[in-house]
Amino acid sequence: MTELFRDLAEGDPPRALNRGLWARRAAMTVLAVVVVVALLDVLGQRASRSSAAGPAAALSLRAPKVVRGGLLFESRVEITARRAIDHPRLVLADGWVEGMQVNSVSPDAEGTTSRGGDVVLSFPALRAGERRTIRMQFQVDPTNVGHRSYDLELDDAETALARIDRTLTILP
Amino acid sequence: MDLVLRTAFVFFLILIVTRAVGRRELSSMEPFDVILLVVIGDMVQQGVTQSDYSLTGTTTVIATLAVLTVATGYLSFRVGRLRPLLEGEPIVLIANGEIRREALRRQRITIDELGAEARQSQIGSLRDVRFAVLETGGQISFVTD
Repeated sequence: MTELFRDLAEGDPPRALNRGLWARRAAMTVLAVVVVVALLDVLGQRASRSSAAGPAAALSLRAPKVVRGGLLFESRVEITARRAIDHPRLVLADGWVEGMQVNSVSPDAEGTTSRGGDVVLSFPALRAGERRTIRMQFQVDPTNVGHRSYDLELDDAETALARIDRTLTILP
Repeated sequence: MDLVLRTAFVFFLILIVTRAVGRRELSSMEPFDVILLVVIGDMVQQGVTQSDYSLTGTTTVIATLAVLTVATGYLSFRVGRLRPLLEGEPIVLIANGEIRREALRRQRITIDELGAEARQSQIGSLRDVRFAVLETGGQISFVTD
């Protein structure tokens, strides 16, 4: 019976004690890097703010730049009118809705149309100095992966007042 | 970041729960315990990943669990004072042939259960046992005369 032990003890050192050990350490290092990268919010979904302003209005967008499949997230748009805007419209690039579940838009838009693939939301008129916050809740379709245009434009009817260029990255 | 924090919270919550529940209960799985384990697993998944269906999220959670497991194992190995906290200590149930009833009571082990464990170790009588030790993994080791 002891030969079962003797063969092991007298044989070459198992690979688990040399190469195997370093392979395990390398694998653990890779896993630790994943954790650090996640802690730094590189893998989503910390919200960040982008702003743009023109003579007629200021526009800001707070939304994550990186999301993952299935995640629920909010995009918050703030419009500050510097003069009266009779027909405020938000023009959302196709990445806002492509492969996304739109759970809610609050307050609701008065109307929704399409302009060259973009989605146009119409809102009630704004007085000079008035500020309006619009919250939009989304969920990412798990099969929706890649980079999407997340541009946002504020128009008064057909006239562009402010524009934010952004990209949304959807990780698999 | 939230995924890592939620995973770490659940990891330490499970660590505390397993230490609090006791090693015997966890080492001997009755059908009820198996079902409870599955239910807990499902609840933990909901709390950690929530609506996340992504491979990135899965990788992050698994990586976090792996790093925490290795880190606590390393701490337990390097820092002796943490070992009882992280892994527990062996508990002597029979010493020099004398049954320690207080230790049995505290570990919620009956004489019948101790006898059953002895039988599984091919020991015919507890009188033959010189030492019995409840190991940190929940198994009972026997030393006979």
